[in-house]
Amino acid sequence: MKKFLAVVKREYLARVRAKMFIVSTFLLPIVMSLFGIVPALILNIKTPPVRVAVVDQTGKMYASLQESVSGDDSGKTNDPTNIQSGFRRGRGAENFAFEEVAIANRSLDEIRANLDQRLAARELDGYIILPPDFLEHAQAEFFNNNPGDVFSVQAVQSALNRAMREQRLIEANVDTKTRQELFKPVELNAVKIGSDGQQRDARASFALVFGVGFVMYLAILMYGQIILGAVIEEKETRIAEILFSSVKPFTLMMGKLVGVSFVALTQLTIWATAFTAFAVFGMSLLTSKGLPASIPRIPFSHYVYFVLFFLLGYFIYATIYALVGSMVTTAQEGGQLAIPIILILVVSFYLFWPVSRSPNSPFAFWVSMIPFSAPVAMLVRIVTQTPPFWQIALSLVIGFSSVLVIMWVASRVYRVGMLMYGKRASIPEALRWARQA
Amino acid sequence: MTASETTVKLDRVSKSFGEFTAVKELSLDVRAGRVFGLLGPNGAGKTTTIRMIVNITAPDSGSISLFGRKIDPELQDRIGYLPEERGLYRRMRIVDQLRFFAELKNVRGKQRESKIDEWLARVKLSEWKNKRSMELSKGMQQKIQFITSVIHDPDLLILDEPFSGLDPINTELLKEIVLDLKRAGKTIIFSTHQMEVAERICDDICLLNRAQKVFEGSLREIKRSFGRNSVAIRCEGGDGVLDDPALVSKLVRHADEAQALLASGADAQVLLKRLLNAGAVIGKFEMVEPSLNDIFITKVTESA
Repeated sequence: MKKFLAVVKREYLARVRAKMFIVSTFLLPIVMSLFGIVPALILNIKTPPVRVAVVDQTGKMYASLQESVSGDDSGKTNDPTNIQSGFRRGRGAENFAFEEVAIANRSLDEIRANLDQRLAARELDGYIILPPDFLEHAQAEFFNNNPGDVFSVQAVQSALNRAMREQRLIEANVDTKTRQELFKPVELNAVKIGSDGQQRDARASFALVFGVGFVMYLAILMYGQIILGAVIEEKETRIAEILFSSVKPFTLMMGKLVGVSFVALTQLTIWATAFTAFAVFGMSLLTSKGLPASIPRIPFSHYVYFVLFFLLGYFIYATIYALVGSMVTTAQEGGQLAIPIILILVVSFYLFWPVSRSPNSPFAFWVSMIPFSAPVAMLVRIVTQTPPFWQIALSLVIGFSSVLVIMWVASRVYRVGMLMYGKRASIPEALRWARQA
Repeated sequence: MTASETTVKLDRVSKSFGEFTAVKELSLDVRAGRVFGLLGPNGAGKTTTIRMIVNITAPDSGSISLFGRKIDPELQDRIGYLPEERGLYRRMRIVDQLRFFAELKNVRGKQRESKIDEWLARVKLSEWKNKRSMELSKGMQQKIQFITSVIHDPDLLILDEPFSGLDPINTELLKEIVLDLKRAGKTIIFSTHQMEVAERICDDICLLNRAQKVFEGSLREIKRSFGRNSVAIRCEGGDGVLDDPALVSKLVRHADEAQALLASGADAQVLLKRLLNAGAVIGKFEMVEPSLNDIFITKVTESA
């Protein structure tokens, strides 16, 4: 036990003291926030309004059209396209300058020739021609200098849509109030009633499962490689044989796994603290502006399960990385052999969707028992239709036993591999070594 | 011989890896307080034998006992092992590495710190204590590796090619330390294929070839059994005499002298008389013990 702790301590200190650790700990949050902030900044760059002339041959559409893009109107919730098109609105509709072209007995060709001139002279960015039968056939033309500006085209289209519906309703003698009511969007709150009759915030639970799964995924990708390197380190530096004259291979491997995991825990804790501080600050900012933000209502037991299954997921994959490390002689070889692991990881992550659709199916049951997919699958089942406790317990027992078995196999393979001197093991060889060592 | 005088006892030990037999039916007695040379050409099974003694790998058959007990992981703390395949953590400071290796042998606290300082001083590397091992030369690293094998004051020290790659001064330094340890009552197993080194420090030897023991015993007895049948000669003229197979079975010419192995039944006095009769001017004519190297080559060729 003391030797185990010595290995843990060495692994931990050697890594935490390394410059790489310090740099990555502070750099990642900065990079992440840049990823969050920079796109928002770019989208917020003010561009001059897109100048569009409207040739309204119906003679009654312009007012509605003007209204459907004018600033104060487009932000209202009675706009049915608002729900999906918030992005488009921000970029397009609020930034249009419409002008009505007086037809004044000119022929369409004359008007177009005149508008084309203005387009060429860059006095206009585009013009719309609404034919006299626009309200019946809903066909219009949009000419512009910059056909690549997809946002403007879409914004014009949805503005026309809204204006046309409005106009048709007006013509059907629907009064203003009814019209507004008609476009009021549905607010659907999915609330799950638990067996104890308590209301739970299902969407927040889902988000949390997704979050836990995602952090697990990140942790495995980052620290799996480190575990791989840690296992190979003694082979590359040729220290393994000295160590094995003092400590059992299993103790050494477990010590490495736990040591690196403490490093991971340290780093994740630093990030989580920074994130929480940020979130608390952000939340108070949101609530002070009158926006709804609250900590989701989730039963305490779920938080416990989140932690347990996060650990299970992390350790299952970490041990597989350790096993790979025990089979190869250099980090490069290890990287190649680790690719299938990432594949399994991704597949088990995507099980999120089928399991959430039918959390009590036999399929969901089995994938929540298989250690590789259990962490995400079981968490999804817990937040949707919590399975009986014995299933949760069984899944954890199977999972953590697998961790020990894989580590035991890895340590056997490691020892024999070391005795064989720099030979990379094929999978059948690794199995034979595990038996014979 | 009682059990307490035997530090390591191997009884018909065999080990194979797949088709390959590394050690076959090997029996050995390593006596307490002596330097035991495990000799043999590359691939003879020396390292596998040592690994079984250190409990890194288990024998397929036969039994091994250490200090009169069957081997178990706890006994590992009484063994110091310097493998042929050895290294250090590149980025770790020397003092941290030594602390780690000491902890793995259950040496802790003040005792550990004083041992580290004591040994660093002894191999003349005290000022490198806080440096990383990647900053040290290969020879310095080797001395640090040596410390890792003795830091816990083991009763049995196993050294696999400890001097390979060291300069003569450092070789001498480590050799003196090994002999000091022997005087302090430690048992030392010394594995090498460099016969000159083994000849200077071993009390007992065991020669392995192709997984099997060729012979075992005290170095002195082995040399005696070979007899003084070698002559070192420095002379001018009389060359034809030395080429006579009836007198000399093997002749090795060095820069200024030759070493002649007498043919069986031949007498050194007859050889001297023949040389004088042939008109040779003799500068040196001396009976010498066979070198371990000669014995080694003779035995390995015989067993092949």
